[in-house]
Amino acid sequence: MADFSAQSYRQPFPFLDIDPTMESLTQFAELNPQSFILDNSAFNFQTFFPLSINDSLFSNQASQGETMSGFIHNSNQSSVSAQPIFSAKTEVEEISNKRKALDILESSSGNSSSSSPQVSETGIKRRNNSGRGKRAKSNEKEMEKPKEVVHVRARRGQATDSHSLAERVRRGKINERLRCLQDIVPGCYKTMGMALMLDEIINYVQSLQNQVEFLSMKLTAASTYYDFNSESDAMERMLREKAEEAKELERLMREGYVGIGGVACFHSSSTYGPL
Amino acid sequence: MDSQHLNPSSLKSRFTARFLRALIKINAQKPISSSSPRDIFQRYQRIKVAADKSMAYSVRSRRTWSRATLWKLRSRSRRRLASSGRRSSIKTRTTTTTTTTTTSTNHRAAIVEKTSHEKENKEDHVGLAVQAEELRELVPGGESMDLCNLLDETAHYIKCLTTQVQVMKKIANLYSLE
Repeated sequence: MADFSAQSYRQPFPFLDIDPTMESLTQFAELNPQSFILDNSAFNFQTFFPLSINDSLFSNQASQGETMSGFIHNSNQSSVSAQPIFSAKTEVEEISNKRKALDILESSSGNSSSSSPQVSETGIKRRNNSGRGKRAKSNEKEMEKPKEVVHVRARRGQATDSHSLAERVRRGKINERLRCLQDIVPGCYKTMGMALMLDEIINYVQSLQNQVEFLSMKLTAASTYYDFNSESDAMERMLREKAEEAKELERLMREGYVGIGGVACFHSSSTYGPL
Repeated sequence: MDSQHLNPSSLKSRFTARFLRALIKINAQKPISSSSPRDIFQRYQRIKVAADKSMAYSVRSRRTWSRATLWKLRSRSRRRLASSGRRSSIKTRTTTTTTTTTTSTNHRAAIVEKTSHEKENKEDHVGLAVQAEELRELVPGGESMDLCNLLDETAHYIKCLTTQVQVMKKIANLYSLE
C-alpha cells in the first residue's frame, strides 16, 4: 500500500533509465506518490518486482516457488545494477507477507505497458493454472484503472472490499514494526498484545529521556567541580581535555566491539596510549 | 589490534565527537566563577541542549524526529536572540526563518488535520489511539505521522537515545574519576 511502495519505489525512480515509452511512466508519475512506478526499458515487469524483496521473502514462498523462480531468474541477469539501489533504499526490511508480494506482481502484470503484453498474459495464465484453491476462489482485483496500486488478494472466508483489505495490509505493517521494536525494547514479551507492548515502549522512551537529563545534570556537576579543582593554566587544561577526548573516543569505539568490561578497555587503552 | 573494526563514521563516534567538542566549548565559556545556582542551572541547560543538538546533528535530516528537534532548537535560539535585543542582523534572519517556519507549521497543521480524519477511520478498530497519542508526544516531530511511520521513527529514536545515554555515561564516569 502506501508506505510499502512509496518507500521502495519512489527513490529509485531517478536512477532508472527513462525509456521512450514515457507516457506510461508519466501516467504513473503524476499519480499520488504511492503509485507503483514501472520502468520498461531496462526491466520488464518480471524483473522489477523481486528487486526490493530480500531473500526471506523468497524462502517463504516455497509453494509458489516454481512460478516465482522463473521470474526471478529472468530478473537476476538484467537487474544487477539496480538491485543494490533497491535493497539499500527499502526501509522495510522484512517483508514476509507473500500475499502482498504476489499481489504486487499481479498489479504490475495488470498495469504493465504495451511493451510486454504477451509476457504478462502468460504470467497470469501460469498463475491461474497452478491450481491453488486460494487463487481460484479469490476475486480478481486486477483493475485496469491506473489509480489502484496494490492489489491485495483476499483469502478464503475473508471480506473482500477494498477497505478491509487495505486495513489488513496496514495492520500487517504495524505488526511487523512492532516486532522490530520488541527486539529493541527490553521487557517486551511476544505474548503481550499490541497495547501492552506500546505501553512498554512508552515507558522505555520516557526512561531514556530521563536518563539523558540526569546524565546531563551529572555532567554539569562534574564539570563545575572539575573546573574548581583544575590547575590554573587554562591551556594545559584544554590540552588535557583534548587528550581525554581522544582517549575516550578510542575507548568508546573499541568498547563497542570488544564487549562489556572495563578490563578489556583498560588493556587496549594501555597498549595504545593516548592518541 | 582490532582497529579494522573501528567505524569512525558510525552514529556513536559522530555523536561522541560532536558532544565532546560542545562540552569543551561550554567549559571554556564559563570559567570558575559559576558557583551560583542560577549559573549552574544555565550550564545544565546548555549541556542538555548540546546533547540533544549533537545527537540530532549526527543524524542529519534523515529522520523526522531529528529534523523536528533541530527546528525546535533553532527557533528557540532565534527567539531568544531576537528578544535579547540584537535586532539588526538577526531580524532579517528571523523574518526569513519565520516565513519558512510558518509555512512548515501550516503544512504540518494541514497534515495533522488530514491524519486525524484518517485516524478516526482507521484506528477505531485497533483501539490504540491513546497510546499512539502518548507516543506522539514523546517522540519529537511525531504529531503528524500515522502509526506506521511513528513506530519506525520510535525505533530509530530509541536506538539514538541509547547511544546518547551510553556515551554520556562514559563521559560522566571519566569526569568523575578526576
